Parts: sequence; structure tokens; C-alpha cells
Amino acid sequence: MVRRKGTASLLLAGAAALAALAAFAAPPNRQGDVGADRERGREVYMKWCAGCHGDEGRGDGPAAEHLLPKPRDFTMALYQVRSTATGQLPLDEDILRVVNEGMPGSSMPGWKAVLSGAERAAVVRYLKTLSPDFAPATAPPAALSFGSAPRGGDAAALEGRDLYRRIECWKCHGDSGRGDGTSAPTLKDDLGNPIRAADLTQNWTFNGGGTAPDIYRVLRTGMDGTPMPSFGDLIEGRIITDEQLWRVAQYVRSLSPAEPPRARDVVRAARVEAGLPSGPDDSAWASVERYYYPLVGQVIVRPRWFAPMVSGLWVQALHDGRALALRVTWHDPSQSPDSSWNVWRARVAARMGADDSAAADSTPLPDRLAVQFPARLPAGLDRPYFLMGSVEEPVYLWSWESEPRSAVEATARGADRLEPLAGLTDSVATSSTYDHGEWRVQFTRALSTGDSTNQLEFVTGRPIPMAFYAWDGSNGETGARMAVGSWSAVYLAEPARASTYLSPAFAMLATAGLGLTVIWRAQRHRRKTTDDGTDIGTSEAE
Amino acid sequence: MSAPGTWASGIREALRHPFWQAVALLLGAYLLFEFGIALVPPLVGIKSAPIPASVLVQYMLTAVVGILLYVSDQEERWRRFKEPIRAALVDPNKRWIRAALLIVVPISAGFVTYRQVRPSVGAGAQLRSIHPAPPSTISFRGRTMTLAGLENLLRRSGDSAQHLATGRRVYYANCLPCHGDLLDGRGQYAHAFNPAPLSFADNGTIAQLTESYVFWRIAKGGRGLPREGTPWNSAMPAWEEFLTEDEIWSVIVFLYQHTGWKPRTWDEEGGGGAP
Amino acid sequence: MSKLGGLVAGVGLSAWVLAGTSCGGGAERGGESAAAAGAAVAFPVDTTSAAAINGRVAFVGSRPAAARIDMSEEPTCAQKHPGGAFVEAVLVNDNGTLRNVFVYVKSGLPALTFPVPAEPVEIDQNGCVYSPRVFGIQTGQTLSIRNSDGLLHNIKALPTTNRPFNISQPTTMTTMRSFATAEVMVPLECNVHSWMNAYVGVVTHPYFSTTGADGSFTLRRLPPGTYVVEAWHERYGAQEQTVTVGPNETKAITFTFRAS
Repeated sequence: MVRRKGTASLLLAGAAALAALAAFAAPPNRQGDVGADRERGREVYMKWCAGCHGDEGRGDGPAAEHLLPKPRDFTMALYQVRSTATGQLPLDEDILRVVNEGMPGSSMPGWKAVLSGAERAAVVRYLKTLSPDFAPATAPPAALSFGSAPRGGDAAALEGRDLYRRIECWKCHGDSGRGDGTSAPTLKDDLGNPIRAADLTQNWTFNGGGTAPDIYRVLRTGMDGTPMPSFGDLIEGRIITDEQLWRVAQYVRSLSPAEPPRARDVVRAARVEAGLPSGPDDSAWASVERYYYPLVGQVIVRPRWFAPMVSGLWVQALHDGRALALRVTWHDPSQSPDSSWNVWRARVAARMGADDSAAADSTPLPDRLAVQFPARLPAGLDRPYFLMGSVEEPVYLWSWESEPRSAVEATARGADRLEPLAGLTDSVATSSTYDHGEWRVQFTRALSTGDSTNQLEFVTGRPIPMAFYAWDGSNGETGARMAVGSWSAVYLAEPARASTYLSPAFAMLATAGLGLTVIWRAQRHRRKTTDDGTDIGTSEAE
Repeated sequence: MSAPGTWASGIREALRHPFWQAVALLLGAYLLFEFGIALVPPLVGIKSAPIPASVLVQYMLTAVVGILLYVSDQEERWRRFKEPIRAALVDPNKRWIRAALLIVVPISAGFVTYRQVRPSVGAGAQLRSIHPAPPSTISFRGRTMTLAGLENLLRRSGDSAQHLATGRRVYYANCLPCHGDLLDGRGQYAHAFNPAPLSFADNGTIAQLTESYVFWRIAKGGRGLPREGTPWNSAMPAWEEFLTEDEIWSVIVFLYQHTGWKPRTWDEEGGGGAP
Repeated sequence: MSKLGGLVAGVGLSAWVLAGTSCGGGAERGGESAAAAGAAVAFPVDTTSAAAINGRVAFVGSRPAAARIDMSEEPTCAQKHPGGAFVEAVLVNDNGTLRNVFVYVKSGLPALTFPVPAEPVEIDQNGCVYSPRVFGIQTGQTLSIRNSDGLLHNIKALPTTNRPFNISQPTTMTTMRSFATAEVMVPLECNVHSWMNAYVGVVTHPYFSTTGADGSFTLRRLPPGTYVVEAWHERYGAQEQTVTVGPNETKAITFTFRAS
């Protein structure tokens, strides 16, 4: 190890000497070019980047107060995505990669669509001028050699899982990888901003990218500026092998689906005859299709909320002609209220811009989920205002909370006018489980309750508008501080009608008959002409 | 067709025949409509979308009629066109083709019918006017504003660099989550909303509108849309609740400056409604 | 005699190599140049006429109550603190002095280059606390980071002028790093255990000392001259005193921190 590193140092020193020579050999008018080049990069930066990263590159643009994760402070020269060791400067290609592709799970987009290759390269060079660490005299950083992913197999997958436990990834990311480890609530970045342990089951939100090589790179180099450390010293100290680190990366990749989920318009509730599932962990749900429903911050009514914890949920539905069962699953790293998350909540309140001062309040709050339907089935395509309806067109909600574990039905006439339906025997039944960073809740209600003025009557055979809201109490979410989505729909399948099968059969028969007739007529016509003429041997009996 | 020689010469031979000409034309038309058209708008920098199925059917019917006109235009061509069809119906050595057609065509008919009659799970198309006609007046924070002829006063007063800076601050602090860094309507929150946030970079949005129209849309948001804009679906907030009048005019200055579009003027507008 | 000489040469060589190896870490460039300088440089002060500054750090006021650390999530560590673990941000000794104050010569030294000590400075993670919590190191000197707990720690340096590092140590192991430029202080932290904090004073010379159980400090082998001596404490901030020492003189000074 010592010798190898010694050689590396020598090589580095050699490279530095060469770079210095090259600098001396450069023509003297180079200085002016550098200035012009910096000005070009600065123009691009000021137009496109400064809104978030600030005019001086300190990560303090006007957008920053509403963003989490926060924009990078370029004056610190700390870069998460690198192909160099922890603490080292990134390569130009590393910075360019993030400019090109953006940072998944953050507000940073890819810039290929609006900036030319020359502009992107100029902005990378400009970013480097914002920190003295990139001074031209310093030796260029050395890229690590990552090798390539070893072939896998069942044994390899098991090894990855075993290593995930052994090197204690679960301390932050949780046993199931949902970002619910014991250390997750206390995590902060180098500037003291709260930062989430990545939910490893949602690789489309990984800041450093979601492929196995991306994950390997993050494990090897760490993400400087964040709590994610480098595991490189384990390889250099021969505690684990490079291949084993790849196994961890492959295991983490396997926790997410092959493709990121896409939102669809309509959740289909199949009709079952054998009875509805008894709870969210009933094995019957395993074979029911899951529909993804994305959730984002609430930016329409005060107080707005820019840091929602829940980024989406999965919906499954079944009905049996008498009742509808909905199973809603979502990831939330805490089972609120949970005092170990107070430090997190205080940090979020301190670092996020807010419309009011209530964010700093520390009253224990439960987790909540609300399912929203129109109060009455709309005649056409009209739907109530998507954000909890309006005075003229109210909505009907099932509002579930974690503490005390219960659900109520409610009517809302706007985000600030949510009233539980009083005097009703609770017709919506819920059953829920919290399991390693995941809530699973089953709602069950009769299609018709006999109170059609307050409660929606579910009908089969047409899409019924449906929307969701989620609150994470440990994130300080309550009232309008919530995660919202827009109208989707649930479609309760009808029993198969005879016409569904009769019509195609009739169409087939009719088409075949027509075809036969055409052929028969054509052949009769031909026989007639051959009888008249000279053609022979065409006696086709049909 | 037992064409002599190579493949290419076989095809060349076949294409001299009106029937195969018609088939080739039909195929070409389909490929053009389905894929070719979508390639054109990007050439001039506009985003494109595939043409809807119903429109495709119309185009294809037109193509069929045109092709029939062509093949029946001359007696000889029409006779030759019908030859292979007739052969398929009567020719004894085409017995297998006949049988295959008799099976494939009815099955296709049955399949298409099934697609039509099976229970549909779609939410139904949302018809809405993207730029509905604005009202003649709006009430902004309790004050009545007449939209017709209304101009952005910041264009003629104060420090324009200051207005731009204010507009930039307002945009990044408020509009960014949905409309995005690229002003393309693809911010971090955009994927959760339907209809999707507008792209200002697109030549069909602010480039087509007067500044007073943009002011109305920003001030009143999704809830302030008239009926034909399908109320209650757009997640656009009513910004009069968060921003002052000058802040809204400033962010409009920013939107036009940043995208490079020019607002429509009242002269172009000719006093009419929205385009 | 020749054996001894060989030993010295061996130590010197291994120091050079060690310092060189530290360039795998956060402070690579500085580590290298300092190591190269260290190999060539002898101690640049005439020890026959050298002066010294010593003294103590007094604490006035009532000692603040230390917060208890909840280590229930790490039973292995909790067991190492039978009487409970407490945050050691303020440690007042029985003789009324303050522990964990970093005292060093802030300015006044002539432009001298000091050899980098061969022996590394050690920090251990034991019982989910850092020991020592406050300490000094010379630029280019090896920092040996040990994990005696055998459970996951990450050690993260949050410097402002040096390059940072963030190393995962999920098992019993030792890792080497170094710092390239002077910086008082570089915070160290563990993100797995949010209560773990340590502070490193990085200086270019050997004139630094950290107060211990008796609250005293000593800065030896100084060239005669006038110096600004600073005392730094993580809770109570920094204080300066200007001291002039003549040849072979030893001066005693006292810093006094007050409960805030």
C-alpha cells in the first residue's frame, strides 16, 4: 500500500511539474484570453445559474430559501459528484457532467437544451474561478480507477445485502433502505442545512445518479459537503475488496425498480367476488396493480410549503360491488410523532423561508394522509378546485392520521375550511401498518352509504376524480404545510357485459360472410367469362 | 410474384405495376403521417407531438381516395390495378392467399370491434382553451383594473435594470418550483400537475400575448380562469395574494427579457380578444 | 552507535514515507511539500538561548451542567460509560481551571521552517466519543484516526482553508490524513453519532499546547521575541495576550474564561 501510494505521489509530482512547464511555455498574451473566457462564462452564469447559486456563487440566490437540498456554494469548492478521492477537487468532466445532466432529486436541471457545448464548458471554467482552491498553480486532481461492475448472480446479490449490513449503511439509510436509519434525523450538510439520507428504493432521486456505476462512485468517493462518507479507505486498507464495494452498489441498485414510476390518469379497481382484503398486509394486495401518484410542495395558499417529506405514493384499489377498498403506500422515514426527529424539524424550520412564524412551533404532530373525492359526482368533466374544493363545489375527504390511529370523513370548501362530517357513524374503515419507513393504509367504505348529501356515492363504470395529500408530522407538516398532487381518478370495473364479447364475434362473422360473398361472386363471374371464352381448367368448387 | 433476378430488381419490377404502386403510396403516406410530420417542427425550433389517431384516420382516408383517383384515371391502369385483386379472389394457385385473407381480415375486424366496445378506463379528454379571452376588467386587491389597453408602466418609468432585478428575484423565489430554471415549465414540481405548467420558452405562450394578459393570468391564477379554461384544474396560484402590482409587472419584464420574446402590443391586438 | 544511527535514519525515512502517504487524503498537496521540507530541515531555533511561555487557563463562574448523551442506539458504546456519557464541551477541573483549551503562538515568529514531527498525532473513537476532543497538529504531520469501537463511524473534517475529508470506518481500523495549511480550528464530526465533535488546531510550528486535567500549558524552545499567544475554547471563544521573552527566559501567563 505504502509503495503504491509512494508511486502515485511521484507520478503526481511529475504531472505537477509538467503542468508548471506547460504554464511557463504558454504565450504571454494568454492572460487576456483568460479574462475574456472568464467573462463569457460569467455571462452564462449570471443569466442562468445565479438565480439559485447567487451572484457571487455562494449558493444564496433568491431561490435558495425555498430549496432543499440547497444550491451549491461554489466558493467552498466542495463537489458531491466526483471521480476523485474524498476532499479532492473534482475533474472538469465531473462538474460538466452535473451541468449537463442536472442533479436528480434536486431542483438542478440538465442544461444541454439551452446552453451550447462551448457555453457549458465556459461556465465550468468560470465556476472554478470562484474558489482559490482551483488556482492554476495547483496540481490537477487525480481520477480514481473504478473498474467495472462484476457479473452478478444470486450469491453476489446475497453478498451485497450482507455487506450493506456489515458496513452499516443502515445506520442512516435504514434496514430496508428507505432513509429511516437511526442517524437520519440528525443529518446536516457542511453548511448546517438538514439533509435527508437517500431513500435507496427511489433511485430516480439520487443526487449522484441512479445506476450501479453511479452508486459505486458515490460509495468510493463519498459526497463531499454531505454526511455521505467515502468507503475508499476500506479498499486501500484491504478491509473489503473493490469487487465487494461493487456488490454493495449492485444491491442498492436492486432496491429500486428498473424504471422510475410514471403517474397515470386512472387507478383501476378490479371487481373481486371472493371478498375484499382484510387489511393493508393481506396477501391479496400482492397481485393488485400499483399506481404511482406524485406529490410536491404546496405553493398556492398560505402558508406555502416547499420542503415536503413525502414525494409520492402508490395506490391500489379493489371493489366487490358493495364496497371499495383502497390501499395507499408511501415512504416516510418517521412514525410521527417521534421526538428523535425534533432536531430535524427545528433545522428545517430554521433553514426554509416561510410565510408565517408557525413553522418554528414544536407541538408534536401526527403523520396524515387524506384521500379526496368530489362531494358529488360531477355531471361532465368538471371537477371541484383540486386543492380541497371551494365554497360552491366542495370536496369529500377521508382523513387518516397516525396518532391517534384513526380516520374521519370530512368536507372541505377550500384549504382552510376542512370540517369533519359530524354525527355520522364512521363509514370509512381504516387499517394501517408502519414498517421500516413505510406506511401502508387500507381504506374501506361501502359504495353507497345512504347519505348521498354528505358522502359520495361510488358508481362503477366511470372514472371518479380522486386526489391525495400527505403530511409528515416530524417534518413540521400540518394544515397547508403539506404535500399535494392534482386530480387523478379511480375507475371501478363493471362486471363483464355480454355485448363486450358478442359484438366482436358478430363483426367477425359479418366480415367473413362478406369476404366469402365477394369471392363467390368473382368466381361465378369468371366461370361465366371462361364458359364464353377459351380459358380452361378453372373449376374451383367453393 | 416470382420476380426474376435479385430482390432490388424484383421490387423495381413490382413498382411498375399500379397495384403495388398504390400499396407503396399508402405505406409511404402512413409513415409520413405517423412519424414524418413530427420531425418537422423541431427543425424550426418548435416542440412537436405525434398527431392524434382520429386525425391520422382522416389523413389516411384522404390518401386512399387520392390513390383510387390516380389508379382509375386511365382505363388500362385501372384494369391492371384490379388484376392482382381479381387473381387473389379467383386464381386457383392463390388458394392459400385467399384462405389467409378470409381468416386474417375477420379476426382484425373482431379485434377492432372489441377495442371499441370494451369498458374504457380513460378519464376522458380534457378540452380546454389554453388562452381564453380575458375579462374586460379585473379587481386587483380591491381595485378595478381595465385590461384593454393596459400597459406595463414599468417599461416607461424608473430604473429598468432595477425592475429586471426585482423580476428576477420574484421569479426565482416563487415561480421556479413549477416553471423551472429553463423557463420551460418543467420545474421540480411540474410532474405532479395536470395541466402541466406553461413553458415561457415556447413561442405559443407569452410570445403571443400582451403584457396585460400575462398580468391577468399571474394575478388571478388557475382559479381566475373563465369556464372555457376549465376552472379548478390549473394549479397556478393567484399571485395577487403574494405579490404587489409592481412585483408582478417586474416579473413580466423578467420573463420577456430572459426568453427574448417581445410582448404583443395593443396595436397588433387591434382591440380584439386573445389570439 | 551505528545501530542507533540506523534507527534514527529508519525513523526519519518512515516519517517521510508516512507523511507522503497521507496525500491520499484531504490535504495532499500541503502534506507533500511539508514532508519534503521536513526531510531537509533541522530544528531552526538555537536551543541554548531558547525561551518558554507557560501558564494556566482559569475558569471563573459556576460550571455549566453537562448535557447527558443518549447512547441507547449504540449499546456497545453505552457500556463503555457506566456512569453515563456527557457532552464534554466545557470541562472545568477541580482546581478551577478549564480543560481542552488550545493555546498556541498566533504571530510573532520569525520566518522559520520547522521539521514535521515523525510521530503521528492520534485521535481515537472509543465509546462513541473522540479522544482527545481538542488537540493540535503541525501542517503535514500525520493524523492517525483510529476506530476502537468496531462499529460504524464516519470522520468528517469541516475546514475552511484546508481541503475537507469524510471517511467511513465501519470496523476497527486506522486511517491516516494530514492538513496542508494552518487553520485554527478544524472541526471534526461524526454524522452517524451527532454528539461526536472534536477540534484540531493546525499550525506551521511546534508552539502549541492543549490544557489537560491541571489546566496548564507550556510552549517550549521559543526563540527570544515578542509573541501573540492565543487561547481558544470551543464554547467561550478565543483570547489573546502579547508576551515578550528574552533569551533563556520563562514567562508565566494566565488566561481567564468566564461562564457566560
